Amino acid sequence: MNPPVPSALPYTDTKPQGSADFYYATNATFRFILQRRGPDGWRRYLEAMGREYFAPVNRQWAQGGLAAVARYWRAFFAAEPGAEVDVEERPDRVEVRVRVCPALRHLRAGGREIVPEFCQHCHWLGAARAEAAGLTMRLSGGDGRCCHTYARPAAGLAPQDLGQITEVRP
Amino acid sequence: MIGCYDFCGHYEWTFGWCEREGGPALVREYWDEAINHDSQRHARDLIRREGIPGMLKYWGHTLLEESPDLGFRITPRADVFRIDFHACPSRGFLLRNGLKHYHDYCDHCMGWTGPMLREAGYVVDHEHNHAGQCWWEMRPAAATGGHAAPGSVAGDQDVRLRPDWPQDPAQLDRYTKTNDPDDKMA
Repeated sequence: MNPPVPSALPYTDTKPQGSADFYYATNATFRFILQRRGPDGWRRYLEAMGREYFAPVNRQWAQGGLAAVARYWRAFFAAEPGAEVDVEERPDRVEVRVRVCPALRHLRAGGREIVPEFCQHCHWLGAARAEAAGLTMRLSGGDGRCCHTYARPAAGLAPQDLGQITEVRP
Repeated sequence: MIGCYDFCGHYEWTFGWCEREGGPALVREYWDEAINHDSQRHARDLIRREGIPGMLKYWGHTLLEESPDLGFRITPRADVFRIDFHACPSRGFLLRNGLKHYHDYCDHCMGWTGPMLREAGYVVDHEHNHAGQCWWEMRPAAATGGHAAPGSVAGDQDVRLRPDWPQDPAQLDRYTKTNDPDDKMA
């Protein structure tokens, strides 16, 4: 009998996918922190979450390299209802191409007012996680379709241009 | 990206971050403003409009989605709406994954439903044991008195009849006819 394969996800549930209504709480949390602590406080919140809450997966990435990054994102989006995503592993980077963002899809379907900065959260959170794993992260696009790139430093990615991250349209 | 699959994990982590940032007051404001008045406004609107039938619609749907293996039991009556959690899906997620960034995750339920139910005209009786079991009774705000006797509303589904339910009140967080998350009985 083969030993069980460790999950690519650091925290696992008994259900195969999450409950999409929780995206309402994520959007509301962003609005609350942006109102109470401003953009710098929101960035601090996301970076701290990336370093602390996601520490187990950051360690998986540091030890397993880009293969672990690709495995994680495939498992992650398989557990998010409504996601349509392609994950491509290259020698120096992993590209996560989001064709349908499950969060924005559900928030729009529910008629929720989405914080315009919503898509930036993937960058602030992802960059902190990548840094902890010795990688770099860039984000382009947004408002439902985007590309996340996780790369080795040797890939020499250009610095993140926040103008490449699209605001969410009302 | 922040996902919904492990929502309870980063939600609980957020309580700890808010407390570091602004003390207990910011956590209470987060539960009331972000969760009650924003995220869960569909629940708030439904229960304010329909009362106990609205509670049945909201919790009947959301608990089935979060806990399809039915780790809960709902008992709706004209005078009281009761839920018994035998296996809370969100507390269970935290316990299974060894997550603890805030001193009492279970407080968040009273933190947002307490103010929501006050605005709808209801008060709450509640106990939780921090291990994934709890019970709730929501009654019109004019209700008085202490907790109903075990089994008197939910019959043998009352979580207090479980053999592992603590008999020592010190092991429980207890609330009586209140809406305030800080109004725990000594």
